[in-house]
Amino acid sequence: MLKCELKKFFSKKTNKAILTALLLGAVIISFLAVDNMSYTDTGEEITTGFSKITAGRRIEAEKNQWKGELTPEKIADAAKSYHELKQSDSEGVPNLESEKTGPPLDILYFAAKIYQTENDVILLADLDRLAETDHGHIYDTYADNLQDVAVEYAKTPEQEKLLTEQFGKIKFPVTYEAYDAWEIMAEDAEMYIMVLVVVIGFLAAGIIDEEFRTHAEKIFFTTKYGRSKAVRNKIIAGMLATTIVYWAGIGILSLISFGLMGVSGFDTPCQIDDPYIMYTITKGQRYLLVVVCGYIASLLSAAVTMLVTAKMHTEKVAVFIPILMYWVSYIVVRLTVVDAAYFVPYILVNMDNAAKYYIFFQIGNVVFRLIPFVMVLYVAVSIILLPFIYRSCSRYDSAKSIKKRSKYLEVK
Amino acid sequence: MELRFKGVSKQYGDVLAVDNVSYSMETGVYGLLGVNGAGKTTLMTMLCAVTRPTAGEITWDGKDIFRLGERYRDLLGYLPQNFGFYPDLSVSDYMMYIASIKGIRPDTAKKRIKELLEMVGVSKYKGRKMKTLSGGMARRVGIAQAMLNDPKILVLDEPTAGLDPNERIRFRNLISGLAEDRLVLLSTHIVSDVEFIAEQIILMKDGKFFFTGTSEELTSGMEEGVWSCTVPSDKVNQYMQKYPVGNVKHVSGGVELRLLSKTPPSENAVREEATLEDVFLLYFGEKAGDEDAEI
Ligand SMILES: Nc1ncnc2c1ncn2[C@@H]1O[C@H](COP(=O)(O)OP(=O)(O)OP(=O)(O)O)[C@@H](O)[C@H]1O
Ligand SMILES: [Mg+2]
Repeated sequence: MLKCELKKFFSKKTNKAILTALLLGAVIISFLAVDNMSYTDTGEEITTGFSKITAGRRIEAEKNQWKGELTPEKIADAAKSYHELKQSDSEGVPNLESEKTGPPLDILYFAAKIYQTENDVILLADLDRLAETDHGHIYDTYADNLQDVAVEYAKTPEQEKLLTEQFGKIKFPVTYEAYDAWEIMAEDAEMYIMVLVVVIGFLAAGIIDEEFRTHAEKIFFTTKYGRSKAVRNKIIAGMLATTIVYWAGIGILSLISFGLMGVSGFDTPCQIDDPYIMYTITKGQRYLLVVVCGYIASLLSAAVTMLVTAKMHTEKVAVFIPILMYWVSYIVVRLTVVDAAYFVPYILVNMDNAAKYYIFFQIGNVVFRLIPFVMVLYVAVSIILLPFIYRSCSRYDSAKSIKKRSKYLEVK
Repeated sequence: MELRFKGVSKQYGDVLAVDNVSYSMETGVYGLLGVNGAGKTTLMTMLCAVTRPTAGEITWDGKDIFRLGERYRDLLGYLPQNFGFYPDLSVSDYMMYIASIKGIRPDTAKKRIKELLEMVGVSKYKGRKMKTLSGGMARRVGIAQAMLNDPKILVLDEPTAGLDPNERIRFRNLISGLAEDRLVLLSTHIVSDVEFIAEQIILMKDGKFFFTGTSEELTSGMEEGVWSCTVPSDKVNQYMQKYPVGNVKHVSGGVELRLLSKTPPSENAVREEATLEDVFLLYFGEKAGDEDAEI
């Protein structure tokens, strides 16, 4: 039965067209991502010529000469090397071909952000000045700063404890490996996910809408399983189709992108470019977080649109809901002053920023950070909605009639 | 095997679409005859447990059909008036889908689909997409899907609407072939659809059953006689106002009318044998025939 339902889904003409467009989109975004690869060294951005396809790999190889633990010595080395490069070539722009490449700026920025906590913009001159600094105590400074952040951003003692605990998990010295591919892909995947969640909502709504739009529902609801198993299968098909479409899209996107750019930097901690975020995960894990949250967003999208379609007997309203949930609710987060507003579904498709917020959810002594909380919350919401879809389909027309019937009998 | 209506009514806003109907059906073909808006479809959707009656009860062997739920629907085959299907599925995929939601196992379903498509004469189109079928072909598939679970109760809501006369005759034969050992309820506003194949005829008007019985009972129960007479052309209107008039035929020397009257309408009038068409004319006040079948 499920097989038939899925066959129906994939043989629908509009669905075929949409799926083709999605896959094409994945391919295009992959190549755009690869195209985005650039190598920043002494300050000028250099996009690496026409052979961009391999740029990622070359940048990786270049930067990874510096890979490993960022000990104070290594940071000092990097700072010195950068300074020398600047001195020797104040006008000319070093590039990959000229072998004049300097240390990865990622390392210098990391150091600068530890010394300069006031959140000012870090200038290239600041990086140059790192050569004069003694880096012997950089990790002590870092640890002190972390403690300050914990005090500053925690609103309750429990939150402070949680922050201290999380910061305690950061391993000193921080390790470095070129993570450019993960950085670019986190962004591009999010862009793709923003589209996926809306399209998936539309596709899932179609599974229910199709019955009403084609007037096939009279037959559907008069068959033996038309109000039980067949409805259940529609819901399962909706969730399965969501899963298949989502992971096929993300799979292709990831395969092409990382296939071309390489996976260097999977284990580089996110602290490398944002030393004070409260999630101790690596760049690779963050990418996984982005795509998993995108998947949760897709499930939620499918559940909501299917429910609204089942209730209204048409998808006309339902298909706009994901746009509200994931695109428009962005405004809420931007304009908001209350923490609660950060819990809108939009957060699911904006992990990149979400990781930077110090937002907590606390009941009594139990504190959750924003990201794990919205993940659990929206998985739960998606699951809770499913029985309502079932109910509203399996009671097709009769629930309304029962109300009317009792009214009619009262009048009589 | 008994399907029974007990005081069934259905109200839509101010409209009483079905008005206190009580009736009982067993095996055989039942022809539900009525003009547009008589309440045929409403009655059938209630019978198929799609909508609930506002008042009254429908029972199958004494049990409420809404309580029976799945067990009742398992006995049901339904071709709705607006037969909707999934346009992008092929005929055989469509049949497989309906079979699956009717709870028929795939291997059994395949055999059954092959038989049914042959029976309704669309096997050579089984690979075609549903949306590419003509109206008549689609309706045949509609009948085939209704028959998939070998239903005890087969409900066909205007299965012949929009079909050409030849096709309609073929349908009629097809349906009478299906009637063995099951209850077939067939709605139409075309008398000839049911005249020969329905054992029981139900005349429905304004939500009520106002006559039920066999075709003979209907015609013999008529107080009016059926007459055919030739009148001058200028008198036709006069006759039309005075009597219910069926066929109007121009002949040399005037117009030949077929009309209903208790007494001979003119001296040269000849008594004719009453048909179901005449009954329809009498009760519904309009001529029902193949000509106005395209609705
Ligand atoms: N869903 C509905 N909402 C409101 N009124 C309805 C609805 N369905 C039917 N009606 C009304 O109930 C009455 C009976 O309609 P029904 O469709 O049962 O007639 P019918 O005999 O099947 O007519 P037709 O020969 O045109 O198919 C009509 O007056 C119609 O307007
Ligand atoms: Mg009707």
